[in-house]
Amino acid sequence: MERDQGGVAVQQAVTSESAQPPRRWRRPAVGGLSRLALLLPTLVITALFFVIPLVLIAVYSFGTVNQVNFDVYFGWTTQNYRDFTSALYVHTLARSVVLSLSTTLSCAVLGFIFAYFISRQPPRAQQLLLVAVIIPFWTSFIVRTYAWVDLLQNLGPVDRFARALGLHGHIDILYTPYSIGIGILYSYLPLMILPIYVSLERIDPALYDAAADLGATPFRQFRRVVLPHAVPGLIAGIIIVGVPALGEYVIPEILGGGKTLMAGNLLANQFLETGNYPFGSALAVTVMVVLMALLFLLRKAQPAAEVQ
Amino acid sequence: MTDSTLLNDPLTRGALLRRAGAGAFGLSAASLLAACGSSSSSGSTGGSASDVVAGQAILSNYPGWMGKDNLAAFHAQYPQASIKMISNATSSTAEVVLQFKSKQYDFLLADTSDAGQAADADLITQIDWSKVPNIANISDKFRKAYPWGLPTDYGKVGIAYRPDLIGNATITSWHDLWELIPRYSGQTVFIDLERDCMGSTCKYLGFSSNTTSADDMQKVQDAITSVKPHLKAFLNTNIGAGLINGSTAMAMDWDYDVALLQQKNDKIKWVLPEEGVHAYLEGFTAVQSTSKIAVIEAFLNFLATPKQYADFVNTTGTAYMMPKATPLVEKSISQNPILVPTDEVLAKTEFDKYLGADGATLWSNTWNAIKAA
Repeated sequence: MERDQGGVAVQQAVTSESAQPPRRWRRPAVGGLSRLALLLPTLVITALFFVIPLVLIAVYSFGTVNQVNFDVYFGWTTQNYRDFTSALYVHTLARSVVLSLSTTLSCAVLGFIFAYFISRQPPRAQQLLLVAVIIPFWTSFIVRTYAWVDLLQNLGPVDRFARALGLHGHIDILYTPYSIGIGILYSYLPLMILPIYVSLERIDPALYDAAADLGATPFRQFRRVVLPHAVPGLIAGIIIVGVPALGEYVIPEILGGGKTLMAGNLLANQFLETGNYPFGSALAVTVMVVLMALLFLLRKAQPAAEVQ
Repeated sequence: MTDSTLLNDPLTRGALLRRAGAGAFGLSAASLLAACGSSSSSGSTGGSASDVVAGQAILSNYPGWMGKDNLAAFHAQYPQASIKMISNATSSTAEVVLQFKSKQYDFLLADTSDAGQAADADLITQIDWSKVPNIANISDKFRKAYPWGLPTDYGKVGIAYRPDLIGNATITSWHDLWELIPRYSGQTVFIDLERDCMGSTCKYLGFSSNTTSADDMQKVQDAITSVKPHLKAFLNTNIGAGLINGSTAMAMDWDYDVALLQQKNDKIKWVLPEEGVHAYLEGFTAVQSTSKIAVIEAFLNFLATPKQYADFVNTTGTAYMMPKATPLVEKSISQNPILVPTDEVLAKTEFDKYLGADGATLWSNTWNAIKAA
């Protein structure tokens, strides 16, 4: 009886509490003009540094250039885009896409392994390992890339090490697409590790225990617990790495030995060497469209992966 | 800058490096400047002109690409005038022409291709040579090749190689190089600048290195792509550095660069190929919009005196073009056969020329096709 009465009392208390309208923080009323004023700085910055440059590039891509004095005329021609359809440029873009995808995939696999390893360490070890991942960023990107020239060249440390192991001939990968891939992988790997680590670090350790209690094997735990939680970080990493890798200019220039023409180099040449801004703009717009298509496909894949 | 840093400096661009590389000679010779004679029997640097030369002229130039005392000495000679040098290194013709248009400079260092295009675009001011009588000190060949201003320096593209790495073979021609490249696959480096690389290939094929023939360009493309799989790389910095440690056996390279490399390894040989050589030629040219033409003309006349030009050469280490300056030029330069070729060699040398809009586009497209192949 007492128990029943107590139960009723609790129920009443709950009912009386739920009958009260919820106390919610109310945002102070902001009028239309005030709201616009608050938005204005963001709008101006976005317009100045994002929208206007993009529009300018798009407008330039339909122009023509006087190759003697480099005056640009806006005759709204599509010639620059038609020029881009030549086999030379299409192959160059395709080569860049393939290299970008392969290095991004390699980054994702290696980055996942590193991030998973870090996330499973004690907190202090995690901090140390994260610092170790970030430390290369303290050195100039150009210097780090040139360091690979010394490492990979004939008679360099890698070559000498291989010969010390008894391998015959030279390890001759400098100035090849492989050295470009290594350079991109090395330079962008930290950008892949960090977002994946953030995703993995948020996994409640109790989930591992629960999975184990329910009889899941380590592989099944990884597949059903770790991987789904890592998807948002993986996708963020793929975007952060894949987008700049497609337009990468410096690494192919330094480690490619001028033998592998990439989209980034072709694009830079139009602005820095030949002064053909309209064609360079058309190239930039095309690369941008290709990237947007790839990102769109990625975004479409993301919800499905998250649901799974 | 030391020799070592020159060979390992990765950040400068090709055209800057080739001149900066030459500059290394200048540092070793800097102490000699004090010994340079103070008199100049061939120079006309003062006179009544100094009374009217006033104002500051702005020069776009490579960093350090000036005699160490040139600017101060000019100001001492013309107290009301001075030269402000802004370092704006570039190997891009487009960028140089845009500098001519920018109205930020009064005169620029420009090569024959850049200055020729700027002249075609009506962006230069012709020098009144009656006010630059010392131009007579410059050899005729260079004056004719560079009519827009004062020619200052040039560099030839030849072959550097290590005989000990290619079975003690002797290279005398571009033909020899092309024959040896496949036999020593992965041990040859070409220059990564279209005018120098394709210009040298033109010489190999017997063409002018300023050809604008589509057929010629197709043959040039075929010739380079035929050996491209066997090339180690196209480089525009540290081109011949591998010759020192033996990781490169043969290189298409600039004369000054090889002279520098030979100081590191005396096994490196230099060849001016018998088919002929392609070369760049640079000088100072006034922009069309300048209001300081009197200062510019006075400075060019001043720089064209043997004493001042020797200062320029000793500081930069470039191959020079004023025979009268020889007694004042550092012996490591004036007695180096690589940097001071004979008349016979100069006769086989062809300088860059502006190719016209269509010609430049043809070369650019061919170069892209070679790089993409």
